[in-house]
Amino acid sequence: MTAIDVMLSAVGLVAVGSALAVVSTQHLVRAGLWLVVTLGAVAVEFLLLRAEFVAWVQVLIYVGAVVVLLLFAVMLTRAPIGRSTDLDRPIGPALLIGAGSGLGLAGLFAWVFRDMRVNPPPTGSAQRVGEAIFGDWVLPFEVLSVLLLAALVGAIVLSKKDT
Amino acid sequence: MSGVPGYGLGKGLAITLKTLVSRSTTQQYPDVAPELPPRSRGVIALREENCTVCMLCARECPDWCIYIDSHKEEVVVPGAARPRQRNVLDRFDIDFSLCMYCGICIEACPFDALFWSPEFEYAEYDIRNLLHDKDRLNEWMATVPAPPAHDPQGEPSKEEANALKKAGAA
Amino acid sequence: MDWLELALRVGAVTVAFLVLPLLVGQTEHKVMAHMQARLGPMYAGAFHGWAQLIADGVKFVQKEDITPRAADGPVFKLAPGVALIPYLLVLLVIPLGPGDLVGQPLDIGLFFALAIVGVGVVAVLMAAWSSANKYSLLGGLRAAAQLMGYELPFVLAAASVAMAAGTLSLPLIVERWEPWWLLWQLPATLVFFIAGLAEIRRPPFDMPIADSELVFGYMTEYTGLRFAFFLLAEYVGIVVISALTATLFLGGWHGPMAESLGWLWMLLKTGAVAFLVIWFRVAWPRLREDQLQRLCWLILVPVALAQLVLTAWVRVAMA
Repeated sequence: MTAIDVMLSAVGLVAVGSALAVVSTQHLVRAGLWLVVTLGAVAVEFLLLRAEFVAWVQVLIYVGAVVVLLLFAVMLTRAPIGRSTDLDRPIGPALLIGAGSGLGLAGLFAWVFRDMRVNPPPTGSAQRVGEAIFGDWVLPFEVLSVLLLAALVGAIVLSKKDT
Repeated sequence: MSGVPGYGLGKGLAITLKTLVSRSTTQQYPDVAPELPPRSRGVIALREENCTVCMLCARECPDWCIYIDSHKEEVVVPGAARPRQRNVLDRFDIDFSLCMYCGICIEACPFDALFWSPEFEYAEYDIRNLLHDKDRLNEWMATVPAPPAHDPQGEPSKEEANALKKAGAA
Repeated sequence: MDWLELALRVGAVTVAFLVLPLLVGQTEHKVMAHMQARLGPMYAGAFHGWAQLIADGVKFVQKEDITPRAADGPVFKLAPGVALIPYLLVLLVIPLGPGDLVGQPLDIGLFFALAIVGVGVVAVLMAAWSSANKYSLLGGLRAAAQLMGYELPFVLAAASVAMAAGTLSLPLIVERWEPWWLLWQLPATLVFFIAGLAEIRRPPFDMPIADSELVFGYMTEYTGLRFAFFLLAEYVGIVVISALTATLFLGGWHGPMAESLGWLWMLLKTGAVAFLVIWFRVAWPRLREDQLQRLCWLILVPVALAQLVLTAWVRVAMA
């Protein structure tokens, strides 16, 4: 156990704990704020794993934009301060699906990579990420771009007034 | 010219910049005394000797802020047939919490007993202290500026003209 | 030795974090006053009111720290800190002079700065919602809409200069900067500066705290030290945006005798941009909400995209 391992586990605990808080809190807006903590902790995990670029993309896109959009939307509705007692959250199925997929995936990874030893890769700088995306993964990247473009065009068409 | 886009924005910047580099107009009041016109209306002063308790000022005052009390006194003049009567001023108060500085009392006074003084720093912590009694009003007399000189081009006053005529006749 | 150096660097950045905003604030007091033919603060500190902001700080500390009864306490109390810390972190990566005269040279410093500045909006939303006040909430929603919109031209303009320099590292961008970029990157400069003004919600983009209609927007319910934190965040924001503009587009420490006086040039350029920020506040009226969004989406974003294309063309032509 190196210092990095300890920090990795500690931040991981923070991430999992705040993720649990997201789904279990009865304060509607606070759930969104807990999500900020979760995503921030995941960003720190990326940092600890030396994937700097991905970490800051995580902060820029998820904390800075996605969660903000989510909070914005929630605040446009009722967004009560205090507990909402009328939340419809069946615990049983949620536990089954959430814990099942989480534990299942964790177990799967642990089993598949059980004999693998990886040396820490060099820092995930912008250059490396760029080379990977525009080298090996250029086709999927372009396909994704087209998908996003299609979604954009769709959004414009949907929001356009019928004349 | 004002049709150019951004013309207004540029003008705003220009005006603020011009104001920035020119002297500001702030008066540093308690540190630097303001330069008031000599006959500013600051406070009303009373020359007690001139007051005959005619009560004109108190009656003309629109908000009744002048309080006057007096009594009569007999003055025995040697050689006169009977003693004269004279009004003695006991109280002459102006309540500056009511006064609206219209100056009508000063205009109304026929005996030059009331004057404007440019002093204005007599604010108080207690509103009751704004009631100036005759001693306090008398103190303001020291700050009353000299009356303005006659207009040298103007017509001489009736008294002067009469005196001149008499001197010419003699 | 390494730890000592790290402590020294972090200490220097903290000092800058505490001193520069006060300097900007005092300058704003005086410049704004003189632009309005006033004198501004004259008494605190005996000489032209130089200690006014210190006096203000003492006053804020003494004030009662009020949390409204209906407010969401923890969120309400946390928000000012969340507003302040991102800017502190950004100051770490801004190069002051040539060589390693920078708090923490980061390979992707520009990206880091943009990501962290974007976190500030979370603090605004927290403050707005947890205050349990409709003016606060309205201000927060305006702020969120504004920040999300202006984030786009902000990042696009920064991307243009990163593309021109071929790096995301702030010290390297400054190093590769050349005077003719002033012309080449002019549209990006303007877009970045305007979007930056909107990011820190300074007039003429102060719709979220428009005092004539929203009391003080999302800061309405704050008092004392927490309010002071929000104010401090605003002024650190000016420093950060000015310093970023100077670093990315005005050549940072470039200037005569850059080797020895680089830090001075950087500070001067930052100061000049901060002066512009103050000047705009005095001279210009507030943009209406619809004008604000129109400016962002119909002018700044297209200009930034066109600049990106131009930058790419010039880069390809030069290669």
